[in-house]
Amino acid sequence: MGKFGAFRILVYRDLQIRYAGTWLGYLWTLLDPLAMSVIYWFVFSYIVGSNSIGEQPYILFLLTGILSWTWFNGAVTDSARSLVVESKMVRSIAIPRFLWVIKSIGAKGVEFVFALPILVLISIIAKAEVSMQLLFIPLAFVVQFLLLTGIGLILAPLTVLARDTTNLLRILLRMTFYLTPIIYGISDIPAQFHTIAYLNPMTGIISMYRAGFWNDSNLITPIVFSIIISLIIFISGIVFFKKVERSVLKEV
Amino acid sequence: MSVVIEVKDIGVSFRRNRKRNFSIREMLLQQKNTSPKGEFWALRNINFDVKAGEAVGLMGANGEGKSTLLRLIAGVLLPDEGSVKVNGGVAPLIELTGGLKSDLTARDNISLVAGLHGLSRSEVRNRFDSIVEFAEVGDFLDTPVRHFSSGMQIRLGFSIVTSIDEPIILVDEALAVGDAAFREKCYIRMQDLLNQGKTLFLVSHKEKDLTEFCTRGLYLKNGSLAFDGALSEALSAYKKDVGGFHD
Repeated sequence: MGKFGAFRILVYRDLQIRYAGTWLGYLWTLLDPLAMSVIYWFVFSYIVGSNSIGEQPYILFLLTGILSWTWFNGAVTDSARSLVVESKMVRSIAIPRFLWVIKSIGAKGVEFVFALPILVLISIIAKAEVSMQLLFIPLAFVVQFLLLTGIGLILAPLTVLARDTTNLLRILLRMTFYLTPIIYGISDIPAQFHTIAYLNPMTGIISMYRAGFWNDSNLITPIVFSIIISLIIFISGIVFFKKVERSVLKEV
Repeated sequence: MSVVIEVKDIGVSFRRNRKRNFSIREMLLQQKNTSPKGEFWALRNINFDVKAGEAVGLMGANGEGKSTLLRLIAGVLLPDEGSVKVNGGVAPLIELTGGLKSDLTARDNISLVAGLHGLSRSEVRNRFDSIVEFAEVGDFLDTPVRHFSSGMQIRLGFSIVTSIDEPIILVDEALAVGDAAFREKCYIRMQDLLNQGKTLFLVSHKEKDLTEFCTRGLYLKNGSLAFDGALSEALSAYKKDVGGFHD
């Protein structure tokens, strides 16, 4: 069997499990990021009451960031735990081990793609203007997939060797959410912190998702940073996973 | 006859005081791989070949590395020394219910597990009815597996893995599963598979299972191969050391 066959089966199984026994099924994929976006939109538009943060329409600005963050957050959490959660299968089915990790990324990626129609809907309602730079979205998808694969291949073995990686990860993810330009834009960050912000690969990735809606004069720098850093993390993940695979299989 | 399993000089070491849940603090404070004293060889210097169509029984006391050896052959564990070559697909009867997902129905589980073991969608479709019939779960096809009794789950797992039609069958003491009637069916199916010329590698504590199916015996003792030859001789070497079987 081709590796892709097993990948497809595992992604499908993850989605089946997620929706088994739920009434709303697929709608949860939309409701989660939508609810988050509405909360932030309400807080910043009516309570803080400032129009200076992010771009207008702000709800669309939030959604572009939060949808990709939802994928990031879900995929990092699930792929980190994948070898522990699937330990019985890892111990009995001889498919390439990295598939257990990337199937979680793939499953959350499918949910992300299926949530994109809401972006179309909101941009029509908000009468947003779009440009050809929408074509950055597929590139952003690929770069984010590589980044997540690298992170997953590093975190999944660590979680097998030390279970409290999960606890640490929860805190780190929450901090990263606020440190990434999701509810605000790069231009809201003081200039002296820009380089630090670019070192976070999600900064450039979210810029790519937003490029078709808002014209940013400084688009190239974050994109180049995110591609290079994502590639470095991707390659490090492959090397690290290969190195610890033997010990991980003994502990699983 | 061609060699289907080729085990060369393999060694597997484990950490002696391995804790399944050690913390990050410990990982930072004590460097890994510092003291080789903390390691022991679960298996070492093991060599043997298995030819196509052979039925090999692996015996040994608890903790002598039987399951470790089986997992190496199944490809779900990697040796620290030497190599394991397996020519042909493997049907592993290991952790029979581990592949089942409790939230999914029996129907979904059959396609998923059979698919992961390498069956195409049309092959799953063709064998679906016989898998269901053998597992005796026909009335519960659309019931989530978590509502199944443990016996039903084992029957389902056994039925799926023995239906995947690979030339090599690995069994980890999973032959005698379920109640007496189902056990009888398992024996018949296993005999069928052997008659089709499949290769069997069986780990067991039960003398009856070993004599029923195997012609060759491997005896593991202290992590190395103490005997490799005719089953009856392997059994007597083993019995001499441990004073008989448990059953």
